[in-house]
Amino acid sequence: MKKITDLIKEKRVYFDGGTGTVLQGMGLPAGQSPELWNITQPEKIISLHKSYIDAGCNIIKTNTFGLNRDKFKNYDELIRAGIECAKKAAQGREEVYVAYDMGPTGRLLEPLGDLSFDEAVSIFADNIKAAADCGADLVLIETMNDSHETKAAVLAAKENSNLPIFVTNVYDAGGKLMTGADPAAMIAMLEGLRVDALGMNCSLGPDIMLNIIGEFEKYSSTPVIVNPNAGLPEVHDGETVYNIGADDFSDYMVQLAGKGALILGGCCGTTPEFIKKTIEKTKDLPFLYPSKKNITMVSSYTHSVVIDESPILIGERINPTGKPKLKEALRSGDLNYILNEAIRQSESGAHILDVNVGLPEINETEMMLKCVSAVQAVTDTPLQIDSTNFETLEAAVRLYNGKPLINSVNGTEESMNNVLPIVQKYGGGLIALTIDEGGIPDRAEDRAKIAEKIIARAAEYGIDKREIIVDPLALTVSSNPESARVTLEAVRLIRKLGVKTSLGISNISFGLPRRDIVTSTFYANALQSGLNCAIMNPFSQAMMDTYYAYKALNLFDTGCVEYINYASQQQSPEKNTGGDKKEETLHTCIVKGLKEGAVKYAAKLLESTEPLDVINKHIVPALNEIGTAFEQKKAYLPQLLMSAEAASASFDEVKKKIPADCSDKSKAIVLATVKGDIHDIGKNIVKVLMESYGFTVYDLGRDVPPETIVECAVEHNCKLVGLSALMTTTVPSMAETIELLNKTDPEIKTLVGGAVLNQEYADMIGADFYGADAMDSVRFAEQFYS
Amino acid sequence: MKNNDVRIITASPEAVEINKNELAQRLKTNRGFENDTLEMCKKRLLKIINYKCAYIRAPLDLSVENVCNLGFMSVKSKNLYKNLSGCKEVFVLAWTTGIAVDRLLARLNVTSQAEHFMTDALSSAAVESFCDYVCDRLKSENNCVPRFSPGFGDVSIQVQRPLLERLNAAENLGITLNTAYLMTPVKSVTAFMGIK
Repeated sequence: MKKITDLIKEKRVYFDGGTGTVLQGMGLPAGQSPELWNITQPEKIISLHKSYIDAGCNIIKTNTFGLNRDKFKNYDELIRAGIECAKKAAQGREEVYVAYDMGPTGRLLEPLGDLSFDEAVSIFADNIKAAADCGADLVLIETMNDSHETKAAVLAAKENSNLPIFVTNVYDAGGKLMTGADPAAMIAMLEGLRVDALGMNCSLGPDIMLNIIGEFEKYSSTPVIVNPNAGLPEVHDGETVYNIGADDFSDYMVQLAGKGALILGGCCGTTPEFIKKTIEKTKDLPFLYPSKKNITMVSSYTHSVVIDESPILIGERINPTGKPKLKEALRSGDLNYILNEAIRQSESGAHILDVNVGLPEINETEMMLKCVSAVQAVTDTPLQIDSTNFETLEAAVRLYNGKPLINSVNGTEESMNNVLPIVQKYGGGLIALTIDEGGIPDRAEDRAKIAEKIIARAAEYGIDKREIIVDPLALTVSSNPESARVTLEAVRLIRKLGVKTSLGISNISFGLPRRDIVTSTFYANALQSGLNCAIMNPFSQAMMDTYYAYKALNLFDTGCVEYINYASQQQSPEKNTGGDKKEETLHTCIVKGLKEGAVKYAAKLLESTEPLDVINKHIVPALNEIGTAFEQKKAYLPQLLMSAEAASASFDEVKKKIPADCSDKSKAIVLATVKGDIHDIGKNIVKVLMESYGFTVYDLGRDVPPETIVECAVEHNCKLVGLSALMTTTVPSMAETIELLNKTDPEIKTLVGGAVLNQEYADMIGADFYGADAMDSVRFAEQFYS
Repeated sequence: MKNNDVRIITASPEAVEINKNELAQRLKTNRGFENDTLEMCKKRLLKIINYKCAYIRAPLDLSVENVCNLGFMSVKSKNLYKNLSGCKEVFVLAWTTGIAVDRLLARLNVTSQAEHFMTDALSSAAVESFCDYVCDRLKSENNCVPRFSPGFGDVSIQVQRPLLERLNAAENLGITLNTAYLMTPVKSVTAFMGIK
């Protein structure tokens, strides 16, 4: 028998239809797992498969959808029995293949859920091992509604078998997965992972899928599978029926086939009759294998970014080179700083964010994984994984939710031998630097030659030219006078090779005054030379000016809509400095919770007032005023928080005027939500307030083990620890933490709070202070340090 | 197993009016509390909120004292037994506001605790209001007792698992459970509502 991967290149092939529908017709009660029948009633499962084979389908899905080690102790036995049933049914039949059918785990992956990516891969891997061992012909990963889980399943299949991999996802009527991915994002990721066929199943009828199929037609170079439901379920006289019959269903399937769906079948509500009619009506339609799409695409878990002639901005702010604040954040593990940079860059218009955490004194792989996961939790902007460490690169590309841009490979043997296999396995757009063992060539032609070498070597790994984005390396013009000219020439030459280009734009102006002027002018020149991607600072107004103006001038901004929108958001110089309002002061801004105003007036005051006076005579009295109003129930918690944020922002202004080594670390507190508890809202409120009062806060986050809290207090010699718990079940964990703290250093005082606590509880677990609310906690901390 | 008797109800953000009492309770303010930032948070939330409910109508057998047998699952509980007494059937329901709310909250947790707090309160009030929206609709056609959620009284939070599996909640609503039986998306609710 031909391989299924060969057959789908020659003709339209057909999946079977619904399993549950038919089995319920055979007496399976609603709510019972049909997989159990693989062992208890195998003859019925075999008969189900046979009915579909008789209808003419080529691929039968095993009755194994819901099986995994989390849900069934005997998952392995049930998978083997399921495949055995399918094989028995297919025995002696021409061109009938057994697809091991694997559904989702039913759990959500980190960071929003609690299933780690590695654990997900491991769960799927156990399934795949069983399936491959007993002779399935292919793996069908189906009904996946999350891109990250889909990736875990595909990797498990790739790493534990040589079976062809087909993947279908569940889209809603708006064309999105439950966790947000659109078809282009899924196609980018799945083609990067080199699956053999991809598409959609379940949830929708073929009528609605017609609205989505166009996206597959546009982006997919891989055969497309369409396995719809028989419309939507409706209740008639207490019975559930789907609203599209076999005749209408097969008519819609004809239309779907006309739009490029090559592999057709059914899902919930469909029966052998649906498949039979679909085959009859579509088998003689022209067979159109999908054309190769020359599209350079990266993706996140929601959307893709197409790298084409319209310029692409890659935010450079999460890269420690020349950024002391980021270096400090990386050393201290302050993810919050990094996440803020990520969010701000995305909001400023970056299409992709570079993430580089390489510092000699930290564990780069560990930090990179933390950052990728945390950044993806707060922004859906695709990431560029940037590291010279191959191990870091692979670990991050593996974990990344989507298809990343990979920065970078270069023309050295070592780099190509290590980076290209990563792209081959996981997929990714690839930045290729024109440097090799001989260094960076002086001549543009020689840089293009290195690009050619990398392109050719990548092809040996099956990496298409469309995935490669060449960076001909802009060197500093102040020390390399020819640099700009040579780099621009290299961009032009490299574009002729049929690949895209990228440049780290900011390098060009290093060492020069008013760098923005040189950088943005070089950027304009580079765009004119055919540059596609710029690694740049999206907070630079000069760069963004150039970007929007270039788009408006070069037909990438119809009607100049984006430009006008951008220009109107740019504040006039007068607005920027902010006209003063007579009644407004730093004090009133803090009391009213006006962050921008607080920053402005703090900066103004600092021109004539000592930093400590700004704190003691302006910020603290204002905070006390709102704090007292809160205690007297004249102001509410939202107002208190807004004031605290305004105070913190003005405090940051003051800190700029205080030399780093003189900053006051004497008022410090360790804060954590205790182990087992994931609620951190109360703890965060306390943090904001403490910071606004000038405390240094070591925030350990939520679900923190006692040992970590103790370690932190000891490391920073901090004698005050604040603990929060929301659930009654986690109070013992709080008690355990206090006990360990007392044992380690009896001088440490503990302050506790949270919804389930009261004075009595606090006393019982040996806490030194119970904070009924955030203000209460601040008052105690102030007293502690007074 | 994809059970095909599960009904789905969706609602546009505008269709569900956020209950002012619920909101005030969560914001810890008085009922009429207004504020520009709160208004901005509400607008931003409503742009991404995705109200979705799944439910089934299950038979109810109360023949054993303090055991509520729903066929696909059985709940041992004095409180629920009392709540459902006199009922012949029960609606089993799950509601959510969608995963985009979790992502928004994660982002605000980084950028602004004030906005995070307000958005958290708004989305909690929103899911409760959506629960009422659905229940009102079901009550208009059925004689129902007040709804009862797992985790209240003596009903263990562990009943979430069979309940959500029966509703195919992962596929239909994107609701999953973590190992501590907490739901994601965080603003999700489950309940039983007896039918007399």
